[in-house]
Amino acid sequence: MKNIIIGQYIPGSSFLYKMDPRSKIIALMLLMVSTFVLQDVFHILIMLSLVLLMLKIGGIEIGRIARGLRPIMILLIFTFTFQILFVKTGTLLYDLKLDFSIYNLLIAVGLFLIFIFTRKFMRFRLLYFIAFAAAIIALFSLYSPGLHLATRNIQVHTDGVSGAFFIMIRLIIIVTLSTVLTLTTKPTDLTLGLEQLLKPLSIIKISSEEIALIISISLRYIPTLLDEANKIMLAQASRGVDFNEGKLKDKVMQIISLLVPMFIISFKRSDELANAMEARNFVPGERRTRLHVLLWSTIDTIVIIVSALFVAGAIWVVVVW
Amino acid sequence: MAIKFERVNFEYISADGSSFKALKDINLEISDKGEFITLIGETGSGKSTLVQHMNALIKPSSGEVTVYGIKIYKDVKKKDRNVKLNPLRQKVGLVFQFPEYQLFEETVLKDIIFGPKNFGVKEDEAIIRAKEIIKLVGLDESYLERSPFNLSGGEKKRVSIAGILAMEPDILVLDEPTSGLDPKGRDALLELFTSIHNELGKTVIIITHDMNTVYKYASRVLVMSEGELVFDGDPLKLFTEKNLVDWNLDLPEIIEITRQLEDKLNIKIDKLPRNVDELFNIIKGVL
Repeated sequence: MKNIIIGQYIPGSSFLYKMDPRSKIIALMLLMVSTFVLQDVFHILIMLSLVLLMLKIGGIEIGRIARGLRPIMILLIFTFTFQILFVKTGTLLYDLKLDFSIYNLLIAVGLFLIFIFTRKFMRFRLLYFIAFAAAIIALFSLYSPGLHLATRNIQVHTDGVSGAFFIMIRLIIIVTLSTVLTLTTKPTDLTLGLEQLLKPLSIIKISSEEIALIISISLRYIPTLLDEANKIMLAQASRGVDFNEGKLKDKVMQIISLLVPMFIISFKRSDELANAMEARNFVPGERRTRLHVLLWSTIDTIVIIVSALFVAGAIWVVVVW
Repeated sequence: MAIKFERVNFEYISADGSSFKALKDINLEISDKGEFITLIGETGSGKSTLVQHMNALIKPSSGEVTVYGIKIYKDVKKKDRNVKLNPLRQKVGLVFQFPEYQLFEETVLKDIIFGPKNFGVKEDEAIIRAKEIIKLVGLDESYLERSPFNLSGGEKKRVSIAGILAMEPDILVLDEPTSGLDPKGRDALLELFTSIHNELGKTVIIITHDMNTVYKYASRVLVMSEGELVFDGDPLKLFTEKNLVDWNLDLPEIIEITRQLEDKLNIKIDKLPRNVDELFNIIKGVL
């Protein structure tokens, strides 16, 4: 639970930190639009290098972003492999014939079992998995004695490769951009910016202040609730609940023993918070003054113009080429 | 020795990489042959972290804790896959400060037998235990069918203690068991711990902020200050010989009164009294 990076603010002093949250949100949207407008792998590569340039100037470590990408790693790998294997347009790049026979199927199952049992001891499980997958594929293509069962071809086409890279880079850019936003903006500033941007919604009777309040309270309570969950786990572990081991039947009980106190404590906390807010005369929808007032500066205007140019450029590139 | 700490350090590491040393070089031995120990120290001095090492809930950052012959050190699970930490939690029963963290069943009975059942006690035997223990903690059998969430704070606390007692631990560790209780309820619970200690011969460890509890009940007191174990010994020695101000502690009321009386009456009392009756007798003897 300690590795959650999405939604975490890390203090810093670059231009990204000096920007108004409103302009950051708008710029994020514009850049995302341009990412979706682009249709070609080379254009998106240019986009990626510009994003990396922004990280460089903004003084954000690539490592931090990479850690933020870890949760979607599986998704990236899946889309990448499926694109490569199943897109059948463009010129053929590579053709691998796989012969399945009884013996090599048995060996493959054996290898798979070895992988299942040995992976716990490995440090780089992903690399280990790739190595085993490669070994199994090599086995099918090179060694097929005994009764022959079926033949399948693995074909890689140019469009598959470019499509795979295209989708992967697009996902990486989107996650990177949103991580940059939360990494450089305090949650309070973020909700304040969101509140201001949603102001026009009051025409259709949606209160942006209340939405902002809900968001800021939720964000505020994520670490608190994680902390509570940890304490509950310790308290239940003291009564013999083993969260690491145990059979499936026990697992259900373990989760109930964690969830029930969690709910009770959350309700109690929200009740107390409501009382504390009322004690300080909080009335929903009332006009309130601000301690922190957002300031729009030149840098914000520049960033918005640059992002708008990005969108225009992306559209131009797609239409003209 | 049932529990042994050897050069134990513990650090909390937060998400931004900074760390906080909660325990610094702790050496400590605790036996399960009927000790009554109180653990005191200001908030944030590492008391709760220390007791959570005693049943292997958390593992030292460096150093070693031995609990009933099982060595617990950093990454013990990774280095020795056969080590089972779960049984230690039956031997060393830990009651957390807030009962809300552990109560979850529909009825008090189910909640009390939850612990024993996890350690393989048969359901009917666990129910027999629960019926005895609910009386022991000062509630009657009618409570067994009630929901734990409709009880008062003090009653919840008793139920949570009953849930641990039903596991029949050899060492009972309680994190601030008397906080939030009225004076009568507090005394009743402390009497309960004393009787567990005296009659069942179990070791009881209590975290407290109340010096009176320390002086009246404990045979041994541990003082934590900024992650270090700064005192380990007889309570009387702590209150007569040590500089309490440095550790933000104060004197028990009865010693305070005795000192005042010595001053006002200009007398010298050699043996400090343990309670009001003893003090009364001493004063009577002097006058």
